[in-house]
Amino acid sequence: MNISVPVSWLREYVKTDITAKTLANALSLSGPSVEKIEKRGNELIFELEVTTNRTDAYSIFGIARESNAILNAQSLKSSLVKPGGLNLNLDPDKSKPLLLDIVIKDKNLCPRFTAIIVDNIKIQPSPAYIRNRLSASGIRAINNIVDISNYIMLELGQPMHTFDFDKIKGAKMTLRKSQKGESIKTLDGNIHKLPEGSIVIEDSERLIDLCGIMGGLNSTVSRRTKRVLLFTQAYNAQAIRKTTQALAFRTEAASRFEKGIDLEGVLPALSRAVYLAKQTAGAQIASELIDIYPDKQKSKTFRLNFNKLNNYLGINLEQSKSVQILKSLGFQTKQNPNQIVVTVPSWRTQDIESDVDLIEEIARIYGYHKLPSKLPTGETPQTKESDLKEVISLKNALKYLGLTEVITYSIISKNLLKVSKRSEKNSVELTNPLTEEWQFMRPTIIPSLLKVISENRHLSPSANLARLAAERAPGGTSDIRLFEVAKTYLPQKNNLPKQDLMLAICLADANFYQAKGVVENICNYLQRKMTFAKLSKNHPLLGQNQSAEIKSTDEIIGTIGAVKEEILNQFEISTKTYAIEINLTKIYQLPSSLPQYHPIPKYPPVIEDISAVVATVLPLEEIIDEVKKSGTPLINKVDVVDIFENEKLGENKKSVTLRLTFQKTSGTPTLDEANQVKEKIISHLEKTFRAKVRK
Amino acid sequence: MEKRIRKILNEAAKEFESAGDESEIDQLYVKYFGKKSPLNKLTKKISTLDPALKPKAGQNINKAKSTLEKLFDRAKRNVKTKKASATKYIDVTAPGKKITIGHLHLVSQAIEEIVTIFSKLGYSLQSYPEIDWDWYAFESLNMPKDHPARDDWETFFVKAPPNPKLGNQVLTPHTSNGQVREMENVKKPPIRMINIARCYRRQIDISHTPMFHQFEGLLIDKNISIPNLKGTFDYFTTNFFGKNRVTRLRPHHFRFTEPSFEVDVTCDVCGGKSCRICKSGWLELGGAGMVHPKVLEAGKIDPKKYSGFAFGWGIERTISMKTKIPDIRLLYQNDIRFLEQFS
Repeated sequence: MNISVPVSWLREYVKTDITAKTLANALSLSGPSVEKIEKRGNELIFELEVTTNRTDAYSIFGIARESNAILNAQSLKSSLVKPGGLNLNLDPDKSKPLLLDIVIKDKNLCPRFTAIIVDNIKIQPSPAYIRNRLSASGIRAINNIVDISNYIMLELGQPMHTFDFDKIKGAKMTLRKSQKGESIKTLDGNIHKLPEGSIVIEDSERLIDLCGIMGGLNSTVSRRTKRVLLFTQAYNAQAIRKTTQALAFRTEAASRFEKGIDLEGVLPALSRAVYLAKQTAGAQIASELIDIYPDKQKSKTFRLNFNKLNNYLGINLEQSKSVQILKSLGFQTKQNPNQIVVTVPSWRTQDIESDVDLIEEIARIYGYHKLPSKLPTGETPQTKESDLKEVISLKNALKYLGLTEVITYSIISKNLLKVSKRSEKNSVELTNPLTEEWQFMRPTIIPSLLKVISENRHLSPSANLARLAAERAPGGTSDIRLFEVAKTYLPQKNNLPKQDLMLAICLADANFYQAKGVVENICNYLQRKMTFAKLSKNHPLLGQNQSAEIKSTDEIIGTIGAVKEEILNQFEISTKTYAIEINLTKIYQLPSSLPQYHPIPKYPPVIEDISAVVATVLPLEEIIDEVKKSGTPLINKVDVVDIFENEKLGENKKSVTLRLTFQKTSGTPTLDEANQVKEKIISHLEKTFRAKVRK
Repeated sequence: MEKRIRKILNEAAKEFESAGDESEIDQLYVKYFGKKSPLNKLTKKISTLDPALKPKAGQNINKAKSTLEKLFDRAKRNVKTKKASATKYIDVTAPGKKITIGHLHLVSQAIEEIVTIFSKLGYSLQSYPEIDWDWYAFESLNMPKDHPARDDWETFFVKAPPNPKLGNQVLTPHTSNGQVREMENVKKPPIRMINIARCYRRQIDISHTPMFHQFEGLLIDKNISIPNLKGTFDYFTTNFFGKNRVTRLRPHHFRFTEPSFEVDVTCDVCGGKSCRICKSGWLELGGAGMVHPKVLEAGKIDPKKYSGFAFGWGIERTISMKTKIPDIRLLYQNDIRFLEQFS
């Protein structure tokens, strides 16, 4: 909550010689922060931020009370002066008091209701000091009566309202909850259709007040007003907040009421209003005081232990200093050995809830800046860290593999969800999305990455090389290679959604083996063994023929493959794009295969190539397994040198060239040894796969 | 015979020495080691010699062969060195051949830096749900049912039946849901935890995105004081922002800490004098406070025995403090030209 405080007004209640700047600094360090010091006309203004719990400080006098306590604690001279007229004798000035009939339907709506009628009113402009202070605070002066309500709200933090008494039909007020379909025209001229449960007042005929927010236009004080009802209440804070939210209509009064009001401050504010009305409008009290206050606000008491206080402060503060600080803030204290009994002033009953709150009061007023700075000692715990620690280094590895990290929103639109072909029912949906753009928690990251590629596609080399060169930073890659690490969200019955950490990669303008190479690099880096197998079921995003499951034994850890053409078209991506999604939560649970030492061979190997023509669909892995099996023990390594298809080979055939490394520990294999094994391998390949081996 | 051998060797030595490149050396190899090499010719003549001289001649020829081999090896080495130390002109201003390296997002870079600093103080990095129960996100953090953060004006809720004990499912609006979860996890202090996660709030403007990253630290032990919190922040600030920066605590209010603070760092633009960017020489870093006894109780830790502090802030905020990014939304627009500006 921000509040503008004209310094001259503040100085009316805090008598001190210090400069505005020193005061602002002292306030910031120990109380509400002064965010800005501004000059408006001749008036110096503090722009203050008051925390939401400190409704008592959301006023000029509240700031004065804070200022005075803070200055005293810093040994700067100051004293607090109360506004005039807080405790007037409110007996009628006339012998025949006017009557107003009040009915409160539900006492919870209005814990305290005070009002008084004044007459003999002469409506005219307020005195200059009131007009100036209102305008310095950003409120337009209207006339001497309306201005009083605004002036008191700013000064004491107690909102109030003034009715033209003669416009209250039947001299009757009923305070109740609004019903469905009711509406009211407030004094700004706007008509509000009320939700059920707003607090309203009706006279004998119609609604005349949207309580705590704004009065009705039909009962407002005008130039011809002679008799005024001064009106000061406390309302149920939640009811006020619900109404301001439902109507999206928040006034200065409402923002105070919705945070709660000091019930003991209601009557002094009314008294002050009478005092000002007498001063500025020649008012005379024309009724008995109406004060409906069924449940008196209870005062609170806490015990504060000095040892505990000093534990928090890390120093030994003199007991008398603590007592002095609390007293300067309006607390009453009774000292026992080692502890004090503290009674909380009425305006602090809302925010002081325990002895720790008292410790805060003492600590801040004493000054956090005066406390020492000391790193904690004590042992450091041995807790197992989360996977995120490993993810930090994984991200760096990916960067050096040439991938660029993006961070996209985990909340996605209905359209983006549709891309992943997941039903809305089977997804994590928000009840209160901000816009349609952010409605579901995503089950997969890939569509988000495709969107990024799409949004950057005008930068791709195929589109416009010259422009790319001009616009992109030096060293930029020609293709877009992206990754993101984030949680995905899948609903689970009677539980929180499954929130596994995923790594997603998209490579634009790539081929399968480049993509697979990235995965193999990642597996090497993570020291986890993975295998690749054809998709066991259709994938919503990836085409069947150029995609694979990434597996560890039988568990699927991720998928890799070509993004379907229809999906690339949706994103207007024209280059072939590969996508990878790996479940890091699962991968980190797998045991890592630490590299083992193998003795470095003493003798050089014999290396032989063989080329075989086989069926296109024959997985290379099966060929290699066969070669290894039939070549044992002489065979040490099998590398793939070349794979190609062409017309000469015939339909559905591919040529595969393998490089075989033969090695022994006792010496270099002889040519004969190598040839024997090679022949054996060839005959196995011919038998098992009907391969044609070029010789 | 010996004379002839010497002559051949002398000639070979000269020729190998003057050979300019590898192909010349290869030619010489053929000349001296091929079928028609002068030594081969001599070998053939051995049979015509006097039997008494034969062994000696054979020995000499073999010796010559190994000398030739040495000459050949040396020549080959020389050519290679020559090549490497070429005096040929090179344009040193032409671009080098680079391996393509990608880029880390600014958020990840900041997270890495922060984690590194707190690791040294013995904090361990933890991860807790980003969709969590109301209990962990609010109720256990001393935020009553009518707290404004709990209404659907500020927090995203998930369409799912509530848990009878733990309440609704919410997108965590802060990383503080990790506090009670960590207490339940560790059970007995000391606790030194860092929690970094994506968080969500219903707002978007120049300094807010509906999703953002928050960083949270929690320390619980015996006799933890406000000066301990100050010391920790001073340590962080010097390491993260630099030696000449200092921090201060200002009173603030959070439900789950008491006392609560806002932590400021001196502005580096004006050096603390006050400028357009800062508030009177100070920049807001984040929130902090002494863990509220009710939160400790919710985590089944006895507030009479233990106390602690917690602190946290938006990662995006520290980034904009360091890099002067004018609009936080830039971080999530993922324009590659933006991403590539940072290593």
